[in-house]
Amino acid sequence: MKQSLPRPRVGVLVQQAREEEDEEQFKPLEWGLIRRLFTYTAPIKGKVTTLAVMTLIRSAQLPVLVWVMTLIINGPITSRDFRGIGLGVLGYGLLAVSIDVLFHFRQRFALEIGETVVNGLRTEIFAKLQLQPMSFFHRLKIGRVIGRVTSDVESVRVGIQDVLFVSVIQFGSMVFSAAVMLYQDLVLFLVVLALAPVLWALNRHFRVKLSLYSRASQESFSRVTATLAESVNGIRVTQGFVRQETNAGLFRNLLADHARYNIALARTSAILTPLLELNSQFFVALLLMVGGWRVFHGDMAMGSLITFFLLANQFFAPIAIIGNQYNQALIAMAGAERVFRLIDAVPDWTDDPAATELPRVLGQGVRMEFRNLSFGYVPGRPVLHEVNFTALPGQTVALVGHTGSGKSSIINLAAKFYLPTSGEVFVDGREIRTITSHSLHRQMGMVQQQNILFSGTVLDNIRFSRPEATDAEVQAAAASLDCLDLFEALPEGLLTQVGEKGAGLSVGQRQLICFTRALLADPRIVILDEATSSIDAMTEARLQHALRQLLAGRTSFVVAHRLSTIRHADLVLVLDQGRIIERGTHAELLARRGQYAALYRQFVQVDDTA
Amino acid sequence: MSALNQPTNEPSNAVLIRRLFGLAWRYRLHCLQVLGIQLILLSLGIGGLSLTGLGIDYIRHKMENTPAVVAKGIHFTLPVEWPPLRVLGLLAGLILAFALVRAALNYVYAVSVNRLVQLKLVVDLRGEVYEKLQQLSFRFFDANSTGSIITRVTGDVQSVRMFVDQVLIQSVIMGISLTAYVIYMASLSPSLTVACLATTPVLCLLAARFSRKIQPEYALNRTLVEQMVQILTENIQGAAVTKGFAREAEARAKFDAANLACFTQQRGIFWRVSLFSPAVGFLTRVNMMVLLGFGGWLVAHDRLPLGTGLVVFAGLLEQFSGQVNNVATIVNSVQQSLIGARRVFEILDAPVEVRTAPDAIRRPRLDGAVEFDHVSFAYDGAEAVVRDINLAVKPGQCVAILGATGAGKSVLMSLIPRFFDPTAGRVLIDGHDVRRLNLEDVRRNIGLVFQESFLFSNTIAANIAFGHPEATREQIERAARIAAAHEFIIDLPAGYETVLGESGNSLSGGQRQRLAIARAVLLEPAILLLDDPTAAIDSETEHEIFEALDRAIAGRTTFIVAHRLSTLRRADFIIVMEDGRIEQRGTHEELMRQPGPYLRVANLQLVDPRDLQLLGLAGGEVAP
Repeated sequence: MKQSLPRPRVGVLVQQAREEEDEEQFKPLEWGLIRRLFTYTAPIKGKVTTLAVMTLIRSAQLPVLVWVMTLIINGPITSRDFRGIGLGVLGYGLLAVSIDVLFHFRQRFALEIGETVVNGLRTEIFAKLQLQPMSFFHRLKIGRVIGRVTSDVESVRVGIQDVLFVSVIQFGSMVFSAAVMLYQDLVLFLVVLALAPVLWALNRHFRVKLSLYSRASQESFSRVTATLAESVNGIRVTQGFVRQETNAGLFRNLLADHARYNIALARTSAILTPLLELNSQFFVALLLMVGGWRVFHGDMAMGSLITFFLLANQFFAPIAIIGNQYNQALIAMAGAERVFRLIDAVPDWTDDPAATELPRVLGQGVRMEFRNLSFGYVPGRPVLHEVNFTALPGQTVALVGHTGSGKSSIINLAAKFYLPTSGEVFVDGREIRTITSHSLHRQMGMVQQQNILFSGTVLDNIRFSRPEATDAEVQAAAASLDCLDLFEALPEGLLTQVGEKGAGLSVGQRQLICFTRALLADPRIVILDEATSSIDAMTEARLQHALRQLLAGRTSFVVAHRLSTIRHADLVLVLDQGRIIERGTHAELLARRGQYAALYRQFVQVDDTA
Repeated sequence: MSALNQPTNEPSNAVLIRRLFGLAWRYRLHCLQVLGIQLILLSLGIGGLSLTGLGIDYIRHKMENTPAVVAKGIHFTLPVEWPPLRVLGLLAGLILAFALVRAALNYVYAVSVNRLVQLKLVVDLRGEVYEKLQQLSFRFFDANSTGSIITRVTGDVQSVRMFVDQVLIQSVIMGISLTAYVIYMASLSPSLTVACLATTPVLCLLAARFSRKIQPEYALNRTLVEQMVQILTENIQGAAVTKGFAREAEARAKFDAANLACFTQQRGIFWRVSLFSPAVGFLTRVNMMVLLGFGGWLVAHDRLPLGTGLVVFAGLLEQFSGQVNNVATIVNSVQQSLIGARRVFEILDAPVEVRTAPDAIRRPRLDGAVEFDHVSFAYDGAEAVVRDINLAVKPGQCVAILGATGAGKSVLMSLIPRFFDPTAGRVLIDGHDVRRLNLEDVRRNIGLVFQESFLFSNTIAANIAFGHPEATREQIERAARIAAAHEFIIDLPAGYETVLGESGNSLSGGQRQRLAIARAVLLEPAILLLDDPTAAIDSETEHEIFEALDRAIAGRTTFIVAHRLSTLRRADFIIVMEDGRIEQRGTHEELMRQPGPYLRVANLQLVDPRDLQLLGLAGGEVAP
């Protein structure tokens, strides 16, 4: 398939932007935030200082250049001094060269500083995310984090690389041209000065309006993309139910709606630009009248009039630019605030500083005990009540029960993804809080229900659990699960990309990759959330075999959906509303004819409802 | 893969450009209007500038007795007998009047461009692409990611319309303005014009070259950023995996490497950008130097007036370089719109593989007799996925299909509603080849339930009525009752008006499937296709939908893909597929008696005798 050109902020990302509707767009300038942002420039401190100096020089350069031009026109040209013209042009040229050389550095350094801050922020966001416990990720909306590392960080970049330096330069230009004009003629300068606030107010008013409209337009656009995404994902249903035309009509309505917002946006900006231009024309007319009158009355030199004509632009143009930069600065502040909020998010819990490593005992599963354990994800809403059980080294514990009965919570606690609300978990006789998460997880192999794989090859994915493993070790692991031939039969064998559409990895194949990944870690604890998706019968037989290999000699917790898994478990815990209502082996539980037997009967008795 | 993705079929740039011109031709009146306004604006701009120059010269004439003032370009002579201030007043008034007209026209211009682009071009194009998308075969959707398809309707359409407003209109405007500026400047002083514009070709070349060089770098940068975001996304989605194996350090290293790759690559871009803009700036200033030097010399020799000459020239020169700088933007836009056009036209040109024959038979109600007559199917050029299938199903019969992934079960079913047409053989409904029947009639007579049924973010009622939006509430409720969904729906806070997809309104897999069944039975279809409807449901809650299935199946010709004995046994007969062929067929009882794949699968799921003893059940199916 042809590689599609990536386009950030289109498509899926836009859809996610919808979630951010409640977030503020602007935030007032805050010194603390600005200072904190600049701490990220530490690696290139020298460039920051150089840039600050260059910025100051540059703020004077542009008006000086124009001034030199007016000097040449008013001086040598009007007085027909040919040598003067030549010298003037030479001076102008030298100044121009210096301006453009400086411009190169000023621009490059600013861009580099912006990128350094962006890079630093992204690194820190990611690093801080890794320190968060699972509870954080369960609450997290992925679109928000993506918003932080893309649009928010980008607005901070603009703030750093443009706003500050551009504003200083533009402000400098204004001040300098003002000074020159003031020096030339006070009255005319006052005219210029009087126009400035009008321009500023005009600009601000429209900028704010523009931001609002552009927001509305973005929101309507995200409705367009969300609908589009749904249409693409639901295409089978649409065609199957012959809804193509109805949908096309609805989509056209959405497009028309989006167009309306865009036109409103365009109308506003269509007023602003001509108004700004009108203002400068108004000034020219005024200049001609007032200036002309003053020149005729001898209050002012002809040269000054020309200076005003040429310099006025240096004074007016920055007003619009600074106004725009101010807007950007407010957006950058809002972005920075959100980014720092994410960076500063305090983890719900961290390892006890006194926690020590769990020693690794080779070739033996752990002993795990749940003692009087209660737990709730949200305070006051317990999902597990007084759970007590012991898994002996090497045992398989199967967890059975309806959705929401607490199976996954037990797994989450055994993995120390969450801490118990009350009661204890003992691993090899030690309370789980006194064991570092890192050392526990290094002895654990997990297979999630969704069979999560990362983009990359099959080999990369298997090696995820132990990056230092050699190819031979990976192959050995796959072979011991009896699925090496299956991986090698893939289009590019172990080097097949797992993410690409059309690579055609079935659910069963994905699960086998996850099994191999878990096995490669040679864990003492295996945690397995069986996929519910029905796997075709041929693959199921294969999975059962692999599963037995994976669990052999390790302590394991299995949320089991398949009979064959439950049947082989050493201990079956039947859960209902957070309590263990029955426990025992498969045979014991059947003999008891309780809840488990009823559940099982429902499952195997095929003629019940037929 | 389909013809959509064969690089050999890619149209050349020339073909694309011709088509883009064709697109612009559709909006020719609008384009002309926009261009007309620009033309007036241009003349007003030059006029205003000349008036300013005139004013300067007039003051200078009065003060320093320089030669009398004539505005050459605009053929405008000032009334000599008027008092000076009145003349200045006239000039100022004229400048203001010009400016006002310009402002008004600028507004009209901006609004009409946006009307053309936002109200017509983009809406039309997106509508067309979307409409076409809806008709494309599923293969297109399998071969392209959702993100890439969305981009075609959003970003790529924008790139295409850019050809009209950014490339065509802008080039014409640029051409006209540059010509006008040159003519006007030449009328003031031909030699000065030549001297000042000597650098222009260099500027044009530089701009075009820069844009060509920088484009791929930006594209690369976008890819790198996307990769970085991808790593982040996967890290969050797979947080449990990273934590479960305690590989946070490796995850960080991976992200930092991707982040650093963006950073390093950006530096190259920074260098280019920081070389280009000062270079352009410098060339513009060289023009100004020539103007000051040569123009100054001309003024000093009274061969050029100061105001209408030098000052006006300076102004024009500024406008001129502004326009030349546009070259970079236009070159950029051309490239971008070509890329976009290729992707958009790919969709617009894609053949709709399945459509109703012109002389199709109308059959609003079908009985539901389905027959496969030596049916084979292969995706173009690929190996056949369905081979020589013969199968006859009487109205109201239920057929279960068992087979491994890729055995051709889903494809076989897709041939009935003509999602694909067979490559060989015929599919017959009620004795007619489906290709001879009206497509809408066929599909309206077929109810579909998929593995994971897609529900739209809309109300429950609207989702059930998806295939028949005019359905009454009674019809919807009746369908929901058949699908055993009525009870849980009325227990929801907003009942049938509950909007799906919003947080807090998430339904369980079993509930979603029951809605999908309700959606299918609302149409009262003669044929029901169920593609592994229990796949995404916990085995503990699987029984919830059996009741719904049983009621839905009753009286309809049904094809159901299934893996569990509990489902398979419900069928009147079962076919077992392997490698696109029917390997076994018969009733459950018949198949249980013969050795083969069915028996193997059944044995895996059957209960061992000890269990039955323990349960106190006798006489069930027992593994040998």
